[in-house]
This record gives sequence, C-alpha cells and structure tokens, in this order.
Amino acid sequence: MSSAISVRHLTKDFRIGIRGLKLRAVDDVSLEIPRGQVFGLLGPNGCGKSTTLKIVLGLVSATAGEISILGEPSATSAARRRTGFLPEAPYFHKFLSGRELVRYCAQLSGVPDSDVDAAVEDALGLAAMTEAANRPIGTYSKGMLQRIGFAQAVVHDPELVILDEPTAGVDPVGSAAIGRMIHAMRDKGKTVVLCSHLLGQVEQVCDRVAIMDRGKLVLEGAVDDVLARRDRHVMTIEAMTPAARAAAESALAEHGAKVTSVTHPRRSLEDLFRELVTGSRDA
Amino acid sequence: MNASLRRTLWISRITFLEAVRQRFFAFLLVLSAAMVLSSVSFRVFDFGHGELKFIADFGFGGMFFFGSVLAVVMTAQLFFSEIDNKTALTLLAKPLSRAEFLLGKFFGAWAVLGVFVVVLASLQGTVLWAREQELLSLADPAAKLTPSFNLEGLLQLVLLQWLRLGVVISIVLTISALARTFLFAVVVGALAVVAGQLQWIAQDAFLRPTDSQLYAAFLWVSTRVIPNLQQFNLADALVLGSAGVDDGAILAVVISGLAYLLAYLTLGSLIFRRREI
Repeated sequence: MSSAISVRHLTKDFRIGIRGLKLRAVDDVSLEIPRGQVFGLLGPNGCGKSTTLKIVLGLVSATAGEISILGEPSATSAARRRTGFLPEAPYFHKFLSGRELVRYCAQLSGVPDSDVDAAVEDALGLAAMTEAANRPIGTYSKGMLQRIGFAQAVVHDPELVILDEPTAGVDPVGSAAIGRMIHAMRDKGKTVVLCSHLLGQVEQVCDRVAIMDRGKLVLEGAVDDVLARRDRHVMTIEAMTPAARAAAESALAEHGAKVTSVTHPRRSLEDLFRELVTGSRDA
Repeated sequence: MNASLRRTLWISRITFLEAVRQRFFAFLLVLSAAMVLSSVSFRVFDFGHGELKFIADFGFGGMFFFGSVLAVVMTAQLFFSEIDNKTALTLLAKPLSRAEFLLGKFFGAWAVLGVFVVVLASLQGTVLWAREQELLSLADPAAKLTPSFNLEGLLQLVLLQWLRLGVVISIVLTISALARTFLFAVVVGALAVVAGQLQWIAQDAFLRPTDSQLYAAFLWVSTRVIPNLQQFNLADALVLGSAGVDDGAILAVVISGLAYLLAYLTLGSLIFRRREI
C-alpha cells in the first residue's frame, strides 16, 4: 500500500524584492508518512514546515520535487477529496454559525446531499461542538475556533487529516481536547499529520516525528526510537532509605553498572494544570 | 446537480451573504436611492431639457456611478478578504478548483449588484411614472400628449446595466487575481472603468486614417482589450423613448458584454491558478 504522503526531493524557492532574490524555504526534503499513524512535523518558526504542507495541499507550487497523497499526485481534486486540512490560526466567516460553516465545507468537499446532515452532526460531535453549533462563529473563543476548524476538516471523512498548529494559543484543557480528537481519528484508521512546535504535545500524541530546520529535514523516525536512550535506564522506587540506596548502588557496582543520578520523579506542569483545572471547558 | 456547479453556487451564496452584510453596500444603496428620489426636487434645474429626461439622467447617472464604485470596491474587498484572512487556504485545500472559486466570487458579487440595480431601477421607474402622470394630468387635454415612460425599456435597461456591472466585476476579479494588495486592485479597477467609459474615443480615432502603424496598432489593441462601457448607457432612449433603439442593437451590446465577461473571467482564472496562497 502506498504511503499517506510521499515527498521526494522537495525544494521550494521564493523570489523576494524587485531584484528577485532567491530565498530557499524547503531544501531537498524527502519524506514518507505511513498510513494510519499520527505524524508530527516539528521545527522552529520559519523552518519550512508550513510551506511543505502548503505544497502538499497544492496551495503553493514546488520549485522541484515530487509529492503524492494516498498514491495520487498532490494538488489534484482527487487527492484533496481524501484530505482534510486545518490551517494555522483559522479564520472563518463570522456571520455563519458553526453548523452553517461545517455544512458549507461539507458541500465543498463533495459530501452527497443525502449524507450532509449526518456528516455535519458527526463532525460536530467529534469536535465536541454540538452544543455551540448554532452560535455565530464571531462569538467563539480561540479553542472553539480550533475545534470548529477541526470539524470542517473532517466533515467529509477524509483518510488523511493535516493539522497546522492546531493548539496554537489554546489553553491546556482545549489542547487536551484536540489531542483526544487526534487519537479518535487514529482509532478510526486515519492518518493525521500534525505540524507544531509544542514538543510536549507532539510527544504525547504522535507515533512518528520529523524535525525540520532551515528548510532541511534533520531527523525522522518513531517517537520511541528517537527519544529513547538505550544506554541509560530509569527505575522508580518507593520508600527508599539511605541504606537501601547504598546497598543497591553496591550491588549494581558488582555488575559493572554505575548510578549516575538519583532524582524524584516529576509530573509535568501540563498534567498538574489539567488535574486542577477541571470542568472549565470553553463550550 | 453537477458537483462543480454545486461548489461554485455555494461560494456564490456565501459571497452574497458576506456582501449584503457589509455597511459599504447598505451605504451606497441608501445614497443612490436618496439620489434617485431627490431627482424630483431638482427638476427646476433642468437647464431647458425635458423634465423627465433630466430626472432620468440624474437618477440613472447615480445608478451608473455608484454601481461602478460598488462593483470595483466591493469585488476587490470580497476577493482580498478571503486571501488576507486566509479563509482561501481552508477553501482551496478542498476539492475546489481556483476557477470555481473565482466564478463563485463573480456570481456572488454579480447577484449583489443585481439587487442594487433592480432596487434603484424600480425606484427610478416609479419616480418617472408618477411625475409623468402628474404632468399629463396638468396638461391641456387638447394637446393629446401620450405617455413616454416605457416599462419594457426599463427592464431592458436593468438587464444592460447588470451586464455592464458584470463586465466591471470580471475585470476587477482579473486584476485582483494578479494584484498583491487591495489598494492596487481598487485603483487599477477604477482606472479600467474610466478607460471603458472613454473607450469610444479610441474607437473613433481608430476609424480615422493615420500614417503611424504603431499608433494604429495601439488603438487596435486598446479597442479590443478595453470594453466600451458607454454602449450600455441607453437610459433615456430605452425608458423614455427619446431615441430609437432596435432589438438588434441591444442584442449586439449583450453579446459584446457577455464576450468580454467570459474573456476576463477566463483570463482571471488562468492568472489565479498560478497564484500562491
């Protein structure tokens, strides 16, 4: 089976100024994104990740290279019919209600008339936006905008969902809700490509990651593989006394092992925040 | 329904809703309506022209002018609001072609201007008819005056004005597809409307013999690239019957308008296809 996205030797140059100076935004990037996984594309601002996604979607043309989506050449209607996209900091017509927006996007995405109502309700339910669906979009909070953006991206049940900074500016509770939506998509067998510089969230939700820097791909692999340090081990011990610690270190030393650090385990600030701030969903 | 047509109509629908919510549209509509209604009170300044002709010229003049302003500014605004707010990113990532997007914008804006023309023409027609009835009732019965107001002519005028504004919208969309800023699109669009209003001068000059082949070539290109927007201005001739206009002439104007409209929309789609969003 073909990859969800296949990028081969992608290069993109932008011409800037009257003299047409060349700015290389993406430099010979090759990438295979397997189907059915959550893939994180990481990198600092201006590293070329959003440009790469725009080229994949046919919104920007490539200077060189080949791209295919689900086995079809990218930038074709056939490929886009099977793809959903949530842009960075999405903006929608404020006079539409959430339900009207999702219906509009369902019509543009080719959902048959007979299926539109059910598809709209499914997408709103997945994004936890059913209750607020009849409110004008102009009254939505940032988190709700991202969630309604997610609903419009998945209303046509795409095989591939591309999310560009889906949690930018969203509080940890809203961010966790988006994380749950991403997991729900993966559970349905969809491929999710997540473009972000929030490393903690990417680590939590992604199966594979790629890191870009200055237009180049600098690392790609499964999250566990790229993060694990095979030459180090962590043990979590309860009720350890100084004597027990000395005995353990001595026993390990007999086998040539050395304890290099002993610390108390920490939970993340995000976990603590989510634990304390409950029921503050911005619906 | 054909999927492409359905997508285009949805873009038109949202464009129409966005446009009619704009204060700019409401402001120009009210201003133009006020101008039409006030034409009755200005009749004492008719400078010796026929009174009904003065009312028609004044009211329809307002419709032509404000319709053009609306066609240029509103169309550019509707296009650039999608680009600048990045809603175009969301829409064009769907199986929606650039041509469908541009056509949707065109039909949405054209529908708004259809409402504008129909409302103002209805008001103007009512004003003309009422004043004519008033004048006829005051006239000497022995003079046997016949009414000159022509409802069929008014409908033809509505059609021609709507078509003229459609040509302007298609030109502004083509310029917008190329332009990087809203201001550039508005300024060049306004210049194109002025050039269209003055195109008959180039046409006139082209018919005169000249020694310069370069000048002749310039005139030939100008008269074909720029539509003659004056040919749509048949207000008093159609509505008051001040001059004979045969059906063949109207048909020729309609065909010419449609040809320019199609040509500019095709050109705009080709330019927009290459644009990076």
